Amino acid sequence: MKYPELSFEPFFSWVNRSRIMYSPGLRSEVGYEMAQLGGTRAVIFTDKGLVDAGVAGMVVEAVEKSDLALAGVFDGILQDARIDLINEGARFYREKGADCLIAVGGGSVMDTAKAINILIGDGLDDFAPLAAQAALWDGAKPLPPHIAFPTTAGTGCEITNAMVVLDTEAHAKLQVTHPFCNSDIAMLDPELTLKLPAKITAFTGMDALTHAIEGVTSNNAEPIADALGFHAIRMICRYLPVAVREPDNVDARGNMLLASTIAGMCFVNAMTGAVHALAHTLGALHGIPHGLANAIMLPHVMAFNLEERPDRFMMVADAMGIPVDGKEPIEAGRLAVQAVKALLKEVGLTQTLKDFGVPGEREGLQPLVDLASGDGQISYNPRYVEEEDIINLYLKAR
Amino acid sequence: MEFWKDPQEAVTAILKLHEEVAKDPELSEGMKKVNQLILYDYTESGPGCAVWVDARGGKLEFGAGDPPGTPDLVMSLSADDAHRSWSDKLNPVMAITRKKIRVKGSATGLLKLAPKLKKVAAVYIQVLKDLGMEDKIIK
Repeated sequence: MKYPELSFEPFFSWVNRSRIMYSPGLRSEVGYEMAQLGGTRAVIFTDKGLVDAGVAGMVVEAVEKSDLALAGVFDGILQDARIDLINEGARFYREKGADCLIAVGGGSVMDTAKAINILIGDGLDDFAPLAAQAALWDGAKPLPPHIAFPTTAGTGCEITNAMVVLDTEAHAKLQVTHPFCNSDIAMLDPELTLKLPAKITAFTGMDALTHAIEGVTSNNAEPIADALGFHAIRMICRYLPVAVREPDNVDARGNMLLASTIAGMCFVNAMTGAVHALAHTLGALHGIPHGLANAIMLPHVMAFNLEERPDRFMMVADAMGIPVDGKEPIEAGRLAVQAVKALLKEVGLTQTLKDFGVPGEREGLQPLVDLASGDGQISYNPRYVEEEDIINLYLKAR
Repeated sequence: MEFWKDPQEAVTAILKLHEEVAKDPELSEGMKKVNQLILYDYTESGPGCAVWVDARGGKLEFGAGDPPGTPDLVMSLSADDAHRSWSDKLNPVMAITRKKIRVKGSATGLLKLAPKLKKVAAVYIQVLKDLGMEDKIIK
């Protein structure tokens, strides 16, 4: 295709602090790498599902074979980074006399670990006031050594300097940023993702796709994030169906893990948009897993945004492998929406909001609208979103 | 300062903005829901250069200088960056990451109003016109 001129804000900044390493079997390097960071005694943060599946054990075994001491395994993390569990995790770390941490898990585990590390680094016990402050940059200092092994592909939050935490009392998801919260090293070992069930593979992959698509179409889109986002889209469209169909395919799993991290590097700089704003709310009020909520909302929000940034949606279509030569940008963008719907079907994600008990009338949707309209990511949506628009998007996704 | 001839000029414009925001049902209701005493601290641009908003307990009052109590939230930035921010010409994430905006206290309530900044900016442009400060409107 002929590359269109893509406009962007002339003043921007781009950052990625984490070192990224990739290899099947990379976990065997964890002891060496943690020693380089100065860590000697690690707590592994994970969840019971990963313990039961033997995935956490693969990292435990790698630690035990190294000179790194294992202080303990905290496997009490639940869906979403809950403030009560963040505080409990920090207590566990201190009780075990640890000086570094390893996160083994998906977004909930990695975000919980980030928040725990902030409490440890700042000598604090309660994350609630920090979550309320949202921006933790003023006076922030480097945190104890932190290595992340993502087990989904995924959230990309092994490298993002942001976390989403769940305030269980307020039923709200709060976005918090800190310059040093992301892992010092993101260790991408696709062997840790082989046991991921097809459905979770599918919706975490769609989460990564959402990061990439929203990142390259947001108000904050810029060339560096574009380079990452468009390539992540190419990789996901090629490898996600394979990873769902062939769970043991290390090549497909590895490419998905890389795509997820690349999409994370895109969106943490370019931000996201209305898909994320509406999905955060579905997670907070209806418990819909974040990736699945994104997957359901993505085609509807794309269609809503098309006319605002047609050239960028044409680039999305091109990255998805759709022939766009000779097509008007808006037409190509519509094909991208159809391709997302086809991909959802191909990977077995056919649920709608109705399946999760999301109300079908305006009055019932109001609590969702109230939360979504105040979500920080909605400001980055390329098209201005009114409350009426939010209602319509939820209704379309039923 | 790039935009203001003195700190008082900045305070005048931003106070007038809050006066107009209070007349807008949607924006004033949004502010009242925040239910906080907020201090916008612009003193790095000069002494007394600060605006407070008291949205506690269903009221909506504002003033210049020292707030009537301990603020629940303090946002510190320069008067020039405040002008860019109220004009919706300052990327808040970038400003925070570059420490041009420094946040102390609970920001979750105010952040819920961030998507309304476009509307606030339109009010601000009109305020600048009304005050004869068209030259300060950022194109």
